[in-house]
Amino acid sequence: MKTAILPFNSFDDNTLWNNLKEGDEKSFSILFERYYANLVRYGNSLSPYEEKVQDCVQDVFTDIWVYRASLQGSVVVKAYLLSSVRNRIARLFERDHIFRKTTSTDSIAFLLEFSVEHELIDDDYATKEKVIHLNKLLNELPSRQKEALYLRYHQGLTVEQIAEMLDVNYQSASNLLHRGLLSLRKEWKGTFSLLLLLSSGSF
Amino acid sequence: MQKRNTYTEIEDLLSDESFQSWILLKIDLDGWEDWTLENRQRAKLVEDARHLLLAMNVPGSNLSSSDIHKALQTTWAKIEEKENQINFTENSRGRFLNKYLISGIAASIFFCLMSVWFYKNHSGTDNVVTYKELIDKNSEGLVEQTNNSSKPQIITLSDGSSVLLQPNSKLSYPKIFTGNERKVYLSGEGFFEISKNPKKPFYVYANEIVTKVVGTSFRVKAYSDQPDVEVLVRTGKVKVRSNNLVSKSDQQEVVLLPNQALRFLRSDLKFNKITNITEDEALVRNVGNIEQLSFEFTDIPVAQIFETIEQAYLVDIDYPKNKLKDCHLTTSLSDQPLTEKLKIICKSIGTNTSFEMNGNQITITSEGCN
Repeated sequence: MKTAILPFNSFDDNTLWNNLKEGDEKSFSILFERYYANLVRYGNSLSPYEEKVQDCVQDVFTDIWVYRASLQGSVVVKAYLLSSVRNRIARLFERDHIFRKTTSTDSIAFLLEFSVEHELIDDDYATKEKVIHLNKLLNELPSRQKEALYLRYHQGLTVEQIAEMLDVNYQSASNLLHRGLLSLRKEWKGTFSLLLLLSSGSF
Repeated sequence: MQKRNTYTEIEDLLSDESFQSWILLKIDLDGWEDWTLENRQRAKLVEDARHLLLAMNVPGSNLSSSDIHKALQTTWAKIEEKENQINFTENSRGRFLNKYLISGIAASIFFCLMSVWFYKNHSGTDNVVTYKELIDKNSEGLVEQTNNSSKPQIITLSDGSSVLLQPNSKLSYPKIFTGNERKVYLSGEGFFEISKNPKKPFYVYANEIVTKVVGTSFRVKAYSDQPDVEVLVRTGKVKVRSNNLVSKSDQQEVVLLPNQALRFLRSDLKFNKITNITEDEALVRNVGNIEQLSFEFTDIPVAQIFETIEQAYLVDIDYPKNKLKDCHLTTSLSDQPLTEKLKIICKSIGTNTSFEMNGNQITITSEGCN
């Protein structure tokens, strides 16, 4: 069985982005279709209201088209989109909490719970237990550390991009990621001392 | 893939896309398995990284592709609204600045209107424009095709656009489009799929209205003996205005988005925009085959794709059934005219595939998919 995919749909983000800037509706639609579901997913990890999140993501795309002439040419499209969605949702929070002064992008909580890939664990019982335990530890991490991990390993952003998005400097972003895994690793070692993890162990 | 030999941390593996797809999708393109077994320390690292990835799963999205399609349409509508809003504020700012000019302009407009009124009353033209008048005015080099049969007929234009002409309808078009515009004249009903070319807008003249597009699909229904003219949009964006033969002063344009329609009342030259076509009985009743069929294909056998096209355009497709029986395609053809659809399909099947079109008969030659 052969599956051919249209060359047009396989254009890379930056080609599409630049076409879009020139006013190409098709490129806009392809980018929309490529990222919409992913952005809604991410948005939902910041706000549980699915409809509002979809609204926000659509507004982000609306502005991209309406103000396309003033878009920057050299952006990492995915990082730009994720960060725009985050800002949009932060603004929504501000508006909804207009009488409370505390809201800013920092205080957005990352609500997503990591889950266990049960179907892929075909190992023995001990491994299963271990993965489930790890999952619990991951979900107990502070919300910003979780978000940093999610952006790094699920969205594939670089540390620089995460720093920019969470509005912190490079070092803090790198710390967020490190601390997340480090504290995890400590617990992990404690619980499964047998395993003597991380041959390099160089922290 | 040399890079991975320097990996010493879990993080290095976690952020490696190829590693991720090996663990989570079980697609091992880069020989991770062998690489892991080369070295015991490495095996440990891989195991830990694997456990972490398995514990860090994020459930996938529950949006279907039709949800996404709908969201895209909503977004185009939002864009439309926002652009109008911006235009409006700009206009009103302009109006404020030019306030003192208005009295002057008003005087000239008054004179203009007077002369228009005078002209209209004395030249004796009435408000109805027919196909014949349109053609008479632009007769040079037009080809006319009439469908007197009982089935829709497919017409392919020189720019690759296709028109599905309904029974008792006529279309006049130049053999080859020249200049900066593409103009055709319709009497009756046709479903248009226009090949995209922003530099050469496409115009459909039908009775008193003119429909302008750059690349999209839509239906125009303009029988000379019926009281109204309808335009219904399937994909893309369409602009409709009245023909300047009937309205010389105001060139008001109506913009239509997908699944919006417009009914033009010929007696009083009024546009009625219909934003929800499903609520309009007359429109729903008239929806043709082609407009109900989906041209979004995900891993679909080529035979089935051809069958969809046969139904949509009422054509016959002859293709080497045996050679293509194991070919599947994933492609989106909704926005493409017939010849474009065929071109894309042939290209997707393989380099040794081509098509030939002869009226309603299409012949595909192929040596199978690659």
